[in-house]
Amino acid sequence: MIGRQKQASKKGSWRKSLRITSRSVLLMVSLLLVGGLYLAVNARLARLGREVLDLQIEKAELERQTAELQSRLAELTMPDRMIERARELGYRPAEMGDIQYVVVEGYVDPEPFVAPEPPDSSVEYAGSLSPAYTETLGDWIARVARPIGEGAR
Amino acid sequence: MISESLPFRRVRILLIVMTAAVLAMVVQLIRVQFGTYAPVFAMWVEAAQDTEDEVSPDRGLIYDRDGDLLATNVPMYYLEIEVFQLTPASRKQIAAVLSQALILPYEDLYRQLTIDWGSVGQYRIRLTREVAGEDRWPITVDQVAADMLRAFLLDPEAPDLSGLKLVPAPKREYPASYLAGHVMGFVNQEGKGYFGVEGFYDDWLAGKPVTIERGYIPLEARLEPDPPAGVNLVLTIDLDIQQMLEEILREAIENASAESGQILVMDPRTGEILGLAIQPGLNPNNYEPWLEERGVTTAELMELEGDQDEAVINPAVGGQFEPGSTFKVLTMAAALDAGVVEPDTEFIDTGQIEVGGVRIRNWNGGAWGPQTMEGCMEHSLNVCLAWLSSEKLGASTFYEYLAAFGIGRGTGIDVAGEVAGQLRTPRHPEWTEADLGTNAFGQGVSVTPVQLLASVGAVANDGIMMQPHIVRAVVGPEGAYWPKPTVLGRPISKETADELNEMLAESIAGETHLASVNGYRLAGKTGTAQIPTEKGYDERWTIASFIGWGPVYDPQFIVLVRIDKPESSPWGSVVAAPVFRDVVERLVTMLEIPPDHIYEQLVAEESEQS
Repeated sequence: MIGRQKQASKKGSWRKSLRITSRSVLLMVSLLLVGGLYLAVNARLARLGREVLDLQIEKAELERQTAELQSRLAELTMPDRMIERARELGYRPAEMGDIQYVVVEGYVDPEPFVAPEPPDSSVEYAGSLSPAYTETLGDWIARVARPIGEGAR
Repeated sequence: MISESLPFRRVRILLIVMTAAVLAMVVQLIRVQFGTYAPVFAMWVEAAQDTEDEVSPDRGLIYDRDGDLLATNVPMYYLEIEVFQLTPASRKQIAAVLSQALILPYEDLYRQLTIDWGSVGQYRIRLTREVAGEDRWPITVDQVAADMLRAFLLDPEAPDLSGLKLVPAPKREYPASYLAGHVMGFVNQEGKGYFGVEGFYDDWLAGKPVTIERGYIPLEARLEPDPPAGVNLVLTIDLDIQQMLEEILREAIENASAESGQILVMDPRTGEILGLAIQPGLNPNNYEPWLEERGVTTAELMELEGDQDEAVINPAVGGQFEPGSTFKVLTMAAALDAGVVEPDTEFIDTGQIEVGGVRIRNWNGGAWGPQTMEGCMEHSLNVCLAWLSSEKLGASTFYEYLAAFGIGRGTGIDVAGEVAGQLRTPRHPEWTEADLGTNAFGQGVSVTPVQLLASVGAVANDGIMMQPHIVRAVVGPEGAYWPKPTVLGRPISKETADELNEMLAESIAGETHLASVNGYRLAGKTGTAQIPTEKGYDERWTIASFIGWGPVYDPQFIVLVRIDKPESSPWGSVVAAPVFRDVVERLVTMLEIPPDHIYEQLVAEESEQS
C-alpha cells in the first residue's frame, strides 16, 4: 500500500516537473516567436529604409544625369556652334535682300516660350550615409581578409 | 557499441547551428561596439540629438526668350574620405590617382590621408587643395572624373580607392559661356548670386531653404517632403540677337583699336532688352580671373555689401559716362515739347555762345550761319543747343524735362548694380549757370547706357518712356507670371516725338549717312563724348556713340552703340554709326521687319484682302 503511494507520489512529481518544463518551453518558444517576429518586422523595415535611401540616391543621380545632358545639349545648340556647323554645311546668314515677305492669311504669331515649372528638389542622404551602417558582417570579414590575401599573394 | 539515437543527433546539430548563430551575433555586437566603426556610431548617437538640417533647394534655371538654356545646375562632386575605411595601400593609391587625374601635388593629398583624424573626432573628411593667397578650397570633380573614379571603386582589378567617397553637390553652369555673361552675373561656390540677373533675382532663384529631420539610420529613413526649387526665369534676351551683337561689337572694337564697348538693343514699346553686349566679356563659368583683373579676390567678393563695386562689373547699368551729343535728343525734345521752337525755327550760328561766363563752341570750332532746328541736330551744333537750354527754355523748364526723362535717377532695370547717374540741378550747391549750357549737349551730366536708352526710347515710343527690363516671365510651382511692361512716364507728347523722329530721320539721311540702311527709314543721333578726368577733360580719348531706332513709321527697336577710347577716329559718326548700321541690317532680318516700301505694299494687300 505504502509502495503504491510512493509510486503515485513519484509519478505526480514527474508529471508536475514535466508540466512546468513544458510550460517553460512553451513560454520560451512563444517569446522566441514574438522576438523572431519583432526582429523580422524590424529587419524588413530596415531593408525598406535602405531601399528608400537607395531609390532616393538613384532618383537624384538620374536627375543629375538629366541636368548634365540638358546642359551639354544647350552647349551644342548655342548660336555660335550652330552658325559654325551651318557654315560648314555651306549655309550663310540670310541678308536683307534674301527675304521675301508675304501676307499669310490667318497666320498667328507663335505662343511665347513658357519655361517648365521647377520640380521639387530631391533631398538626398547619399553623402551622409556612412558605410558603418551599410557594411555587413560578410563585408567586414572580406575587408579584414583582403590584406591577408594580398600578403599571401 | 551504443549508437546515438536519431533525435539526440538532431538536437546536437540544432545546438551547433544555434551556437554558431549566437556566436555570429556576439561577434557582430562586439564589432559594432568596439570595432573600426564604433566611434562613427558614437558620433552619430551624439549628433542624433540634433538631427535637424537645413537643405537648400535647387537653384532655378534661366532661359532666353526662345527657350535656350542660359543657366543650369550640373553635378559636381566633393571628394570625401571615410577615415576608417582607409588602408595603407588605399592611402597611397588614392593620392596617386587623384594627383594624376586632377593634377594636384601628391604629397599634399597623401598628407591629408595620413593625418590621425580620429583623434580629433573626425571620421569623414573632405579633401582640399591649396589656393594661392587664400584658404584651402574643397577639391571638386566634374561628372566625367566622377564616373572614372566610380569605375575604379567598383573594379577589383583597379587601384584600391577604399575610403574614397564622391559626394554630389550642384554647380551653376552657363552653357552660353561668354555670351550674355554680363547679363547673367554668376553664382559663387556657396551658391550666392552676384551681379546681373543672378544677383538681382538671387532670393527668387535660390528658393527658400527648408529644415528637415535627417534620418541617418536606415530604420528611421523617412520620406521627407522635397523642398520646392527656386523659380525659373525667362529673359527678354534673344540669344541669336545677342550672338550677333557680340560678334559685331568684337569686330568694331578690333577695327577701331578701342579699349571696350557696348551695344544695347531694346524694344521701345515694351522696354524689353533684346540684347546687351559688353566687351571685354565675362565668362560666368570662370569668373575668378575676371575678378582678379579688377583687383577683387573671391574672399572680398563675399564681403561686398549691397551693390558696391558693381560699376566695375556691368558697365551697361553701372558705368556712367558723359553722353555728349546723343544727349541733344533730350534737349531738343524738351524745347519742341515746351513749344519754344518749331522744327523750322531759325537760329543764326555764330560759332560761339557764352553761358554763365563760359564760352561754348561747336565741335569743329566753326560758325554754321543760319540753321533750322533740323540743321542744328544734323550738324550737332553745341552752340544751338546751349542757346535752347539757356535762352529759350531756362534752367527751371530744362531741368524739369530732364527729370521727366529720368536723368539722375535709376531706371529700376532688373539687373543688379544700377547706378543713378549724375545731374546737378540749380538746387545743387555746385551747380553753376554754365552747367545749363554744357548740359544741353551732354557735358557735365552723367548717364548709364541703360538710362540713355530708356530716356531716348521715349522719343521712339510716341513720348512714352518704358522701364527697361530683362525678365520676361517668372515660372514657379504656382505657374507662370508675366510682368507687365511698366511705363516710367510721358516726358513729351506724341506730336513732339513725331516731329523729332522726322528731324532725326532726315539727319541720318543727310550727314549721318554712315548709319543709314537701304530700304529702312531710321532715326538717330551720333555722340562724341569727352572723358572727364581730375585735371579737366582728357585730350586724347573720347567715347564714340550712336543711338538710333527704327523703322520710323513704327519703331520696334532702339540701339545704343558705345565704343570707348577708339584709336582709329575719335568721332561717333565715324566709329559708332557704321556699327549701328551693321546691327540694324542683321536686326531687321532677325525681327522680320520688312523694308518700308514692302511694308506699305503688304499693308495695302492686307487691306484689300480684308
